[in-house]
Amino acid sequence: MNENLFTSFSTPTLMGLPIIIMIIAFPALLYPTSNRLISNRIRTLQQYLINLILKQMMAIHSPKGRTWSLMLMSLIIFIASTNLLGLLPHTFTPTTQLSINLGLAIPLWAGAVILGFRYKFKTSVSHFLPQGTPILLIPMLIIIETISLFIQPMALAVRLTANITAGHLLMHLIGAATLALFSISTSTALITFIILLLLTILEFAVALIQAYVFTLLVSLYLHDNT
Amino acid sequence: MPQLDTSPWLISILSMMFTLYLLMPIKISKILINNDINCYPSEITKSTNPWNNKWTKIYLPHSLPLH
Repeated sequence: MNENLFTSFSTPTLMGLPIIIMIIAFPALLYPTSNRLISNRIRTLQQYLINLILKQMMAIHSPKGRTWSLMLMSLIIFIASTNLLGLLPHTFTPTTQLSINLGLAIPLWAGAVILGFRYKFKTSVSHFLPQGTPILLIPMLIIIETISLFIQPMALAVRLTANITAGHLLMHLIGAATLALFSISTSTALITFIILLLLTILEFAVALIQAYVFTLLVSLYLHDNT
Repeated sequence: MPQLDTSPWLISILSMMFTLYLLMPIKISKILINNDINCYPSEITKSTNPWNNKWTKIYLPHSLPLH
């Protein structure tokens, strides 16, 4: 049973060929581009949404931080679209893979930290010591702050992986329970089905929220360091 | 847990880097974000048809002889 439950998270290969490349590149197909000033509804809608997200995310940054806007926009669009596409049945969600989330989190976090160390060394080092700490606590606090700095990329990656994986697992389990209960007692199956519907609505929200939280935290690290 | 099997990690991370740093920024950088309507790019597209070098009256539908 355990093996069956987790097989939907294994990297998809088709007769030994890694089709994960196509699965990860697929959401980029859903955003058509055109050179025209005014295009059709779907492009207008996407332009409107991306403008909205851009203004919301990049308003707090300085001009130096705003040079990261393309990166952060492609990050949030990538995570949101892969999460939403993963809610369809029998799809593979790349953000359930720890490898992909580590590859998302570590370079972006490292870029923000290295940027801070390079251009504003004193400010970024001063983040290790909050204001007004007693002198005796300084060594311990610096150790704690260093650990909390290095745990940021791990927390980013594991948060996204765990949330999406847990949601998918819950949907699998409750769906299987509904199916099994259907032949035994239909009313209980109805209750379980309503739970499944509510969970699906929650998963839609989680898909978008996780994308937002990831990008927000990266932008926060950027804000600290620019 | 199949996420901890490290054999597909390299191809997953490489394909994610390719999508996230190449494909998505290309798609997103093509959208026009400008609040000033006078600053929109106004280049006139040049047609590259070899037969359309000179627009003459005979191409206008209403000037064609009646069938």
